[in-house]
Amino acid sequence: MVAWLAVTVALGLVYFVRAVDRLGDEASKNAAANYDDRAFGGGNSLGVDKQALTEARGWIPDSASYRLLVPTDAADLRNFVRYFLMPRRPDPDASWVLCYGCDLAGLGSRLEVVWKNDAGITVGRLSG
Amino acid sequence: MTVRALLGLAIGNAVVLTTGACLLWGVRGLRSWVELARLAGLAYMIGVVALGVALSIELVLGVPFGTPTIALTCLGLIVAGLVLGRRLGRGRVPLRGGGSDGLGLVAAAYGALVVVYAEALFRAGRLAALSNYDGWAFWIPRAQAIYFRGGLDERFFRDLPNPTYPPLVPSLEAAAFHAMGSPDVVTLHVQFWFFLTGFVAAVAGLLAPRVHTALLWPVLLLVLVAPRVVARALEPQADFLLDYLFALAALLVALWLVERQTWTLCTASLFLAGAMLTKREGQLLAACVVLGALAASWGTRRAAWPRIVLAGGCALALALPWRIWFTARNLSGELPTSGFLGLFRHLDRPWPAVESVVRILVDFELWLLVPPLATIAVLLAFAGGARVLPTYAALVYGLSAAGFVWVLWSFTELELPFVQDEGVNPIVRLCNSLVMLSAGLVPLLLDAAWRGGDGTERQR
Repeated sequence: MVAWLAVTVALGLVYFVRAVDRLGDEASKNAAANYDDRAFGGGNSLGVDKQALTEARGWIPDSASYRLLVPTDAADLRNFVRYFLMPRRPDPDASWVLCYGCDLAGLGSRLEVVWKNDAGITVGRLSG
Repeated sequence: MTVRALLGLAIGNAVVLTTGACLLWGVRGLRSWVELARLAGLAYMIGVVALGVALSIELVLGVPFGTPTIALTCLGLIVAGLVLGRRLGRGRVPLRGGGSDGLGLVAAAYGALVVVYAEALFRAGRLAALSNYDGWAFWIPRAQAIYFRGGLDERFFRDLPNPTYPPLVPSLEAAAFHAMGSPDVVTLHVQFWFFLTGFVAAVAGLLAPRVHTALLWPVLLLVLVAPRVVARALEPQADFLLDYLFALAALLVALWLVERQTWTLCTASLFLAGAMLTKREGQLLAACVVLGALAASWGTRRAAWPRIVLAGGCALALALPWRIWFTARNLSGELPTSGFLGLFRHLDRPWPAVESVVRILVDFELWLLVPPLATIAVLLAFAGGARVLPTYAALVYGLSAAGFVWVLWSFTELELPFVQDEGVNPIVRLCNSLVMLSAGLVPLLLDAAWRGGDGTERQR
């Protein structure tokens, strides 16, 4: 029992110091992050286009729904966009469109583009 | 990320503490305000689980979710606690009196270390971004959906990964959003700091009068500084809260086995319900606690078993509405795709599954030596002459570990040997529950070993 306690006390104290050190480093890193880094969180590691998603947030009203067009193998991106654009509701029939590297030709001429960038990301709205 | 959000969160958690304190007074009674201070962590966790269970049931019933509902639910729970207390003849709580033994030197020193740790954890979590996958992929979107739409949005839930995961954590997160005044996913990490702090205070408060401080605090500190706890305790997802609820339920059942005070079993039942409403594996862990208690009380089965079964049944009844809700809507994913018996078509999996679970449980980089030390504590308690506590602990640890093997064996989409990164490794998450369990059970086992018996003769 004494040996058990000795191991527990020693390990606890050594790793207490390490834990406080590590948490201090974490706190400094978090404090140094800018607003975008915090707002995008997991999106940073996914490599999402921050400006595009910010534009989508700005253009699509809170109460509206949107159609997200992404490549079929981009499940993580789909999940992240759904989280980031809340409370906007994903809906395959919505008039607002967020095209993330998709083929716009399928939408025909009804798409009114409100924002796009060189990476092939488009925010638009279907008319009619 | 504002002071207003932090202040709102602090007020919200103070309300939860008040709610839990009233329920604790009702079910247990309190001898003094000093005793209430000692049990404040337990009171807070009772408030958390009672509010979480109530909100989950309200969501299933279609009650609109919002600040008035949260406030009325807290009020209802407070009144329920006060009415129960009056009916059971609980007296006024004097300022001083029983249950106030003071703080020894060892407890004060370790308490100071825990405070330093908690402060460091708070600073780390205060401005943390939402980075973990499960958090942004489905836990937080559920909470956001409840917050923005005032209820369970079936279509939205159906599209999310793991649609059958229960709503307790999202409902508490949505309540936190209301307290903060906005869905602030950065400050939300602080809510999980409250959960951890409440859990530590609950274990310390429950065990302080029963276990020597030299046996209690070193174990608590070792669990807290385990690398995975340091790294992931504040992630806004359900795993750690599940572990706290499971660990507290198991600890309260252990106390009931040796002391037979009704309030510990009643409270354990509530924590078991909370565990089942937090994640689907909560059902597995709750079953392990009930089976462990039944086996450990074999000698007194005539008196004990009906009570244990009743406690388990009440917990199941509270968790049932959610099961009915998702079953009625044909949401799937709760069980292995091959069904309960399909695992026998995969007899190449059990041994690699055992290897994976054992390898993770003894991984020093994850939780130092906590699981091996817990195993030794069980043996020491047996060697010291105790029977009930070590039998119960061995069964809860053993059955849980067997359950984790079953998960790896039967969910055949999980590749074996299982070497996934610990951040997204479900078996690491499951094993974490046994580490948090050790914070409460191991000091009790050591105390039994030290005193040379279960302590069934002691009534606190």
